[in-house]
Amino acid sequence: MNVTTLKTKAEGQLREQFDAAAGSLPGTGWVGALRARAMDAFAADGLPSRRVEEWKYTDLRECLRDVPAPASATPKSVSAAEIDGALGPLAGLDAERIVLVDGVYSAELSKVTAEAMVIELMSLAAMLKKAPAWLEGKFAADSGVVVALNTAFMSDGVLLKVRKDQDPGRPVLLVHARAAVQPSAVAVRNVVSLEAGAKLTLIEAHVALDSAASGALANVVTDVTLGDGATCDHIKSLVDAAGSTHLATWNTKLGKDATYRGFQLTASPALARNDINITFNGEGGKLDLSGAFLARGAEHIDTTLVVDHAVPHCESRELFKGVLDGRAHGIFQGKIIVRPDAQKTDGKQMSQALMLSPDAQFSSKPELEIYADDVVCGHGATCTEIDADLLFYCRSRGIPPDIARAMLTESFIGEAVEKIENEAVREALGTLAIGWLRAG
Amino acid sequence: MLEIKNLHARIADDGTEILRGIDLVIPKGEVHAIMGPNGSGKSTLAYVLAGRDDYEVTEGDILWNGESILEMGPDERAAKGVFLAFQYPMEIPGVATMTFLRAALNAVRKKRGEKELTTPEFLKFVRAKAAELGVSDEMLKRPLNVGFSGGEKKRMEILQMAVLEPTLCVLDETDSGLDIDAIRIVSEGATKLRGPDRAMLVITHYQRLLNYIVPDKVHVLAKGRIQKTGGKELALELEKSGYADFTGKAA
Repeated sequence: MNVTTLKTKAEGQLREQFDAAAGSLPGTGWVGALRARAMDAFAADGLPSRRVEEWKYTDLRECLRDVPAPASATPKSVSAAEIDGALGPLAGLDAERIVLVDGVYSAELSKVTAEAMVIELMSLAAMLKKAPAWLEGKFAADSGVVVALNTAFMSDGVLLKVRKDQDPGRPVLLVHARAAVQPSAVAVRNVVSLEAGAKLTLIEAHVALDSAASGALANVVTDVTLGDGATCDHIKSLVDAAGSTHLATWNTKLGKDATYRGFQLTASPALARNDINITFNGEGGKLDLSGAFLARGAEHIDTTLVVDHAVPHCESRELFKGVLDGRAHGIFQGKIIVRPDAQKTDGKQMSQALMLSPDAQFSSKPELEIYADDVVCGHGATCTEIDADLLFYCRSRGIPPDIARAMLTESFIGEAVEKIENEAVREALGTLAIGWLRAG
Repeated sequence: MLEIKNLHARIADDGTEILRGIDLVIPKGEVHAIMGPNGSGKSTLAYVLAGRDDYEVTEGDILWNGESILEMGPDERAAKGVFLAFQYPMEIPGVATMTFLRAALNAVRKKRGEKELTTPEFLKFVRAKAAELGVSDEMLKRPLNVGFSGGEKKRMEILQMAVLEPTLCVLDETDSGLDIDAIRIVSEGATKLRGPDRAMLVITHYQRLLNYIVPDKVHVLAKGRIQKTGGKELALELEKSGYADFTGKAA
């Protein structure tokens, strides 16, 4: 065991919390060993500082000064109405609903009507306790410090499988509700798999109840595996007014001819780091990733993605748009790797920020690592203010400046939100984004 | 009534003086045309009337119905009935034309102390005006001016004017870039808005537009001042003689 690099207070707290909780976290046998190895992996590196290239703009060692205690294994009782209230425009969505409260699966609040021959759904905690051998393979060994911490501390989450050629018909809404009145830390792990030809629209909604304390920490990892010809729309919304730290990782692997459309709306956490790691494992894969990040005050939102074209004939598109006000800092890092064999790769990436304040900051770092010679790859980044000519045009039609600004900002974000395929989901997220813009 | 008194204006950024003492009066119910060579200050005058802050008024005043509008922002002027049809209408991606029209109309009605229209009332109102201008429902659903042809953009300007029902209409080179058919449609739309309570200022480089929107008076603007005023026949004279007489003069 190597503890020599654990220097900061937060790192020490994590170590102590793990030692105290290890006995009560779900799972023994190989699960316990997995957790211990993950903790050792974390201990070897500690929290990443700005000297680690991937964390250049989000110095976690600096930002994470104090780690709140792990959330209780028996969370506060929450009513369905409270969940609906927190979901806002997503509450009315016609969807299968799975609810996690403070990182713990709630059978009572979840409502899944899809037949077992279409969807297989299990609580991760329940499965970790049973610890079947096949489950061990679901946890990748070296996925970075944040995932290692997640593996060490994971309390619950869902195992969701859509069976071969099946389509549940309705979206699956996975609600991550934050309810604890004391600042607390949760670690949630979701493992989603689509068998060959399966279809799924998965919405992960991260919401805070009115009663929820600020200063919370969430570490959520969602692994998605798409079988050959499978199609997944994966949408995430984080609208957190109560100032939490949010570390989220999507690890997605695409099989042959699979299609993955991802969208992330991130609005107003104190700090959010969204890691998105995509690997093409079969030819003919299609990826369309987009997102909107909205920050004001001293908020900090980092989207870091790595798209690995490991095989030929795959297509990737990324469009991320940010609105930054106050002293907010938005970050977009997009790495596209094209392996030597990955000929005929078609990759395009764009990140754009609209600056509403002279003190806001946008850092954009596209990275193309291309080892094949017959590919089409491009990237772009822009950073602009509201167009004065457009503003004058709106005002000359009688639209007051505040409404005109909001309208032009909405139109800027709209281009990303429009990428969401499902109309009801698109409208709900559009409403959430507009709500955020108008709250400023 | 519009009264422009000894108006001097310069470009805010670099101080270049463009308008050098304009005096102009347009009573309600009249249509006046301003013609002039390129660079004479025609578009600047239009922008200054609408309140664009790229220009700075250094002297003089603009009164609309007896009230100075110089200190008002563009949106306040719009609420007072001032409307500028742009020479180059702006494209707003992501905002449906209908949504934009509704925001504009509601903002103006609110400022004027009128009730906002309900959705069915609004749709009925806009569709009727749109039909007159040959603006399809499909165009109304598209983002404002995005992918519209030059003629479609100008029709959209006139539609906005018809919807907002301003009392002072300023048309800045509405004919530029249009073919004869498009000029006719746009002019007919503008002419319909002629009325005893409305003053109109038509800015154009060519006489052609004035065959359709027949003015009560024509003014020649050159070097930032009104150089000559006459009846509609002045436009025909200019078409023959050009602007050389005016541009040749020392300022």
